[in-house]
Amino acid sequence: MSAERTAPGLPLRAAGVTAGYGGDPVIRNVTVHADPGEVVSLVGANGSGKSTLLKSLVGVIRVSSGTVTIGETDVTGRPPEEIARAGVGYVPQVDDVFAPLTVRENLEMGGYLLPSRQVRTRIEAVTEVFPRLAAMLSRPAGKLSGGERKMLAMGRVLMLQPAVFLLDEPTANLAPAVARTLLDEHVRQLARHGAAVLVVEQRARAVLAISDRTYVLAGGEIRMEGSPAELAASPAFVESFLGGTVTR
Amino acid sequence: MTIFLASVGFGLVTSSVLAIAAIGFTLQFGVTDVLNLAYGAVMIAGAFLAYLLNSHGVNVWIALVVAVAACAGGSVLLNAGVYAPFQRRGTAPITMVIVSLGMTLIIEFGVQAIAGGTSVSYAMSNGPTVSAGGFTLTAAQFAVIGLSLLVMAGTHVLLRYTKLGKAMRATAANRTLARNCGIRAGRVIAATWAITGALCGLAGVVFAMDAGSFNATSTDLFLVLILAATFLGGPGQAYGAMLGAVIIGLSTEISAAYITPSYKYVIAFAALLIMLGVRPTGLLGKAA
Amino acid sequence: MNSYYLINLLIYAAVDAMACLGLSQQFGVAGVTNFGFIIFQAAGGYTAAILALPRDSANGGFQSYLGGLNLPFPIPWIGAAIVGGLIALPFTFLVGRRLRGDFAAVGLLVTAVLMNLLATNYRPLLNGDAGLSLIPQPLQGEYNPQASGYQWVLAAISIVLCGAVYLFVRRITESPYGRSLRAMRDNDTVADSLGKNLLSLRTTMLVTGGAIAGLSGAILVSYITTWSPAAWGYAETVVLFAAVIIGGAGNHRGAILGAILVPVGFEEVTRYIPTSNNLPPNLIPSLQWVAIGLLIVIFLWVRPQGILPERKRVARAVPRPAAPPDGTAPPDQTARPDQAASPDQAAPPDQTEPSAIVVAPATVPLTTTKPRGEAAQPGAEPAPPPHDHEVVLQAVDVVRDFGGLRAVAGVSVSVRRGTLTGLIGPNGAGKSTLLAMLAGTLPVTSGQICYLGRDVTSLPAYRRARLGLIRTFQLAAEFKRLTVMENLLSAVPGNRGDSMRGALAGPRYWRGDENAAIARATALLEQFGLEAHASSYAGELSGGQRRMVEIMRALMAEPRVLLLDEPMAGVHPRLARRIGGELVALAAGGLTVLMVEHELAIMDEFCDPVVAMAEGAVLAQGTMSELRSRSDVVEAYLVG
Repeated sequence: MSAERTAPGLPLRAAGVTAGYGGDPVIRNVTVHADPGEVVSLVGANGSGKSTLLKSLVGVIRVSSGTVTIGETDVTGRPPEEIARAGVGYVPQVDDVFAPLTVRENLEMGGYLLPSRQVRTRIEAVTEVFPRLAAMLSRPAGKLSGGERKMLAMGRVLMLQPAVFLLDEPTANLAPAVARTLLDEHVRQLARHGAAVLVVEQRARAVLAISDRTYVLAGGEIRMEGSPAELAASPAFVESFLGGTVTR
Repeated sequence: MTIFLASVGFGLVTSSVLAIAAIGFTLQFGVTDVLNLAYGAVMIAGAFLAYLLNSHGVNVWIALVVAVAACAGGSVLLNAGVYAPFQRRGTAPITMVIVSLGMTLIIEFGVQAIAGGTSVSYAMSNGPTVSAGGFTLTAAQFAVIGLSLLVMAGTHVLLRYTKLGKAMRATAANRTLARNCGIRAGRVIAATWAITGALCGLAGVVFAMDAGSFNATSTDLFLVLILAATFLGGPGQAYGAMLGAVIIGLSTEISAAYITPSYKYVIAFAALLIMLGVRPTGLLGKAA
Repeated sequence: MNSYYLINLLIYAAVDAMACLGLSQQFGVAGVTNFGFIIFQAAGGYTAAILALPRDSANGGFQSYLGGLNLPFPIPWIGAAIVGGLIALPFTFLVGRRLRGDFAAVGLLVTAVLMNLLATNYRPLLNGDAGLSLIPQPLQGEYNPQASGYQWVLAAISIVLCGAVYLFVRRITESPYGRSLRAMRDNDTVADSLGKNLLSLRTTMLVTGGAIAGLSGAILVSYITTWSPAAWGYAETVVLFAAVIIGGAGNHRGAILGAILVPVGFEEVTRYIPTSNNLPPNLIPSLQWVAIGLLIVIFLWVRPQGILPERKRVARAVPRPAAPPDGTAPPDQTARPDQAASPDQAAPPDQTEPSAIVVAPATVPLTTTKPRGEAAQPGAEPAPPPHDHEVVLQAVDVVRDFGGLRAVAGVSVSVRRGTLTGLIGPNGAGKSTLLAMLAGTLPVTSGQICYLGRDVTSLPAYRRARLGLIRTFQLAAEFKRLTVMENLLSAVPGNRGDSMRGALAGPRYWRGDENAAIARATALLEQFGLEAHASSYAGELSGGQRRMVEIMRALMAEPRVLLLDEPMAGVHPRLARRIGGELVALAAGGLTVLMVEHELAIMDEFCDPVVAMAEGAVLAQGTMSELRSRSDVVEAYLVG
C-alpha cells in the first residue's frame, strides 16, 4: 500500500457514549478505544447499535452523554467536518460514494482538505492500492458494481491518510472472496501503517481473524471484550449472536 | 422564412435570459432541496434596483453589476434567514413551497410598494441593429446572448473544474458524506446561494432589458417558464436547465410567430405538466 | 353603518368562508395541496354567468362567450357546483400518482396561471380579459335587485348556504371516512397498505372541493354581476391558503375564522387607514400583499397549526357487554391467548371477566358474513376459505432489481395457514424487499405472488389489504396526528361510515359499526397494556409503544395473513415475548404470520418454520435449531 504516513496514528477513545435518533437511546454507556497500529473490531447482531455507535463517533448523530476524543482533542458533539479535520476517516455502510461524480472526482473530494498540489500524487498512490480504480477514473460512481464502490469508498478515505479509520460493515454485499481480500489485505494494512482502525462487522469470523481486539455489542451495550482467541473460545460469544438480547 | 428566422432570433434572446435564470434556480433546488418560488421576485427586485440607479444617471450595465451583487447577498440571507431554519425543523417540502410563496408576496409587493405600480424602462441605448445569420437583433440583444453563453460556460467550468463546484455537486448528492470529507457544507451552501443569487439578479436585469418595459409583477409568468425549463431538463441538473431553456425559449417564440403571441406560454406550460406527469426527474435526470 | 356596506361584508364573508371550507377539507383534512384552487371558483363563476346570460347580451352583444342559455335561478348555481366538481377530474393525474408533494403543488399552481392566461387571451371563450358583465341576478325578472330587501335576502341565502357547506364538510370529516382522509394525509404509504384507495380518495376530495368552490363563485357572480380573469389570479389562491393556515388547517371553524380574518378582515382594515393624497395610490394594496406574505411565513414559523388547531378526537367509551352468567361463554372464549405466560395478568385465566371477551381478530370468523370491500364488487368471487395448513401465500421465483443491483434473486417461498414463519438474514439479504413485494408496496421485477390461490402480482397494495393481506413497516409508520384509538380504528375494514356515501348518511348510519370497532380496539389496547394512551396522539408515544400501536392496528385490519417487518425493534424484551405469545395464539385460531426479525430468540421461541436468506436468495428453511446446525447458514449469517 502506499506511502509512509505523514503523521502518526492517534488513539480513539469513546467513554460512556449514549446516543440515539431522538427518542429512546439506541446505544447506552458504550466505552471503546482503539490505539494506533491496532485493528479493533466491533461485532454484534443486527439492531445491536453498531452503526449508531460509529455515526455518533463521527458526529452524524448527536451524543447525548459521554465523551469522544481523538488523541488529545475532545471531539464530542463536534460536527462531522470538524471530526474529519481531526483526522478521522469514515466509510459508511450505505451511501458511501458520491454517485453523480466520477471516480476521480470522488477521490478529489476525499482529498478536499489537502493542498491542490498533493491531490494528484495521492490519487496515484490510492490507485496503486486499488488498481481497478485506475481504469475507471472517468466513470460516474453510480455506475460501479458493489465491490468497486466499496473500493472507491475506501480509496476516498485513504486520500487523507487519516490517523483513525472507522469502517461500517465494509464487507456488506461483497462476495466472500472479495470480502476476505478487503479485510486481510487492505484493512490490516491500514493498521500496519500506524493508524488506529475500528471496524464494525456482522460477519464476525472473518474480521476476528485480523483483529487485535474485539468488542461484542448487543442491545446497545458492550457485552464482551477481549482478544479474538478468548472470545471465539467462549460459548457466550456465539450465544450473543444467536439470540442473547432477550435473555436479560 | 424570414418570420421563422426572426422568431428564432427572438427565441435565442428569450432562451438566453431563461438559461441564466434557470441555471440559478435549478442549482438552488439541487443543493437545498427547496423549490424557491420567490426566485422571480428576487429577479424583479434586482431589475428595479438597477432601474433606481439607472434613473439617476448610472449606465445600465454598471447598474447591472450592483444589482447582481445585491441579489447575491439577498439570496444568501433568504436561505440563511428563512429557508434553512424551516428545514432544520424538519418542515415538509410542501410547506416549504408555501413559505416560498409567502416570501414571493413580501418581496414582489414590497418592490411594488416602493416603486409603484406603473411600468418603467431602462434608459439605455440598444446599440446598432446587427444582422447575422439571417436574423436581425440589436447590439444589446447580442450582448444578452453573449452574457448567457458566458454564464453557461462559466457554470460548466465552475462545476467541472473548480474545487468549489465539485464540492457543490458533492453536497447536493450526499450532504453527510461531503461533511465526512471535511467539506464545510454550510459554507458551500451559502456560496451556492450567493452564486445563484447573482445569476438571479443578472437574469432579472437582462429580463427587464429584453422586455423593454416592466413592473413589479412582470416576472410572475416568467417564473413558469423557469419552472418549465427546470423540470424539462431535470430539477437540480444545471445542464438540464440549459437544455430546457433552449427548448422552451425557442419553442415559445417560434410558436408565437405562427400562432397568436398571447399563447406562447401555453407550450411551456404543457411541457411542464407533461414532464410532471410522465418523467418528473427530467430529460437528463435518472428515471425514478 | 350603511346597510349596503353590511350586506357587502356578509356576502363576501359567506363566499370566502365557503371557499375556505372547501380548501380546508382538501388541504387541512386530506392533505391535498391544491394550489390551483381558484380555478374551481372561477369555473363556477363563469358557469353561473354563461348559464344565466341571455344569448346576446344587452347593448348589441358587445361580449362574446359560450352558452348564454338564460336559465333561471337556481340552475346557474347548481350548474356552477357541478362544473366546479367536474373540472377537478383532469387534475387527478397530478395528485394520484406518487409525485412529490411540492412538485404536484407546483403543477397545480402552473395550471391556475395557464387557465387564467387562456381565459384572458381567448376572447370567444369567455370574453377575454374584459370578462363578463351584466350577468343576470337571481330572479331579477320578478324582483328588483337594487332593493335593499332583495340584497338582504341574497345575503341571507349566502350565509345559509355557507352554513350548509359547513355542516356538509363537518359531516364528512367527523366520520370514519374523514378519519381515513386524515390517515392518508399523515402517511399515505401506510394508508395504502391498510386498504385505502388513495387515488379514489384524492379524486373525491378534488371534486368535492371543486364543487364547493364553484358554488362560491356562482354566489359571488350573482352579487357583483361581473366576472373577469383579474378576479382570480393565482394570488387569490395564496390568500385562501393563508386564511386556512392562519385560521387552522384541519379545523373547519378555523377555516371560517381564517376567512373572516384574512380576505375579509384585510379589506376592511384598509378601509379605515387614513388616505392621503401624498401616498401613491397602489401603496395600500401592495402593503396588504406584503402583510399577507408576512403573516403566512410568521404563522408557519410560530404557530403552524393555526389559531384554532385541529381538535383531538376522543372516542366515546362504549359500554362493554356484561359477562354471561352461566357457562355459555361466547365462541370467542375458546381462542383466548394463553394468559398464563404473562405475569401481568391479575385474574386467573378461567374467570369470565369482561376483558376476557377477547375480541381478537382470530375470533372474527374468517368466513365473515360482512363482505369485505372486494367481495361487494360484482364479479369478484369471495376467496374460498382456506383449509388447514394449506399454502395461503406464495412467492414464485420472485426477482427484484434496483437499477443495477439485484436485491432479490429468484426467491420461492410458501407460507402455510396458521403458521408463524420467521424470515431472517443479514443486512442486504433482501428480507424487507421480499416482504414489500409480498404486500404489494413494491412491484416485482419478475416472478409471481399468489395469495389464497389467486395470482395477485399485479394487484396494488390497497387491494391486497382488502383481501386480508396486511403488512407493518420497519420505520415509524403511525399516523402522528391521529390518536392511538383513531390509529386502530382507521384500519378496520368494512366500516359503513368509511365511504363518502356512508359519511353523508350520518352518524346514525355508521354508529353501529363504529361502536363495534371501538369495543374491539379497546379490548386490544387492554391486552397490550396501552389503554391509558388511547387518547394520546400516536406521535407522542415512545418507540416501543408506537411499534405496538402498529401491530395492534394491523390486527384491527382483520388480517388473514400478517406480514410484520421487524415488529420487535425497540420493544422491551418482556413485552416482545408477550406479543410473540399473542401471535402464537392468534395463529392457532387461523391467522398466518410472516415475520422479519433480528431478535433470534423470538425465532427460537415462536417461529416455525424459519426461512434464512442471504444475498437475495433463500439459503435454508427449518426450525431455528435446525438452521443453527447448518454450517452454511451459520457461515453466511450468524458468525460469518
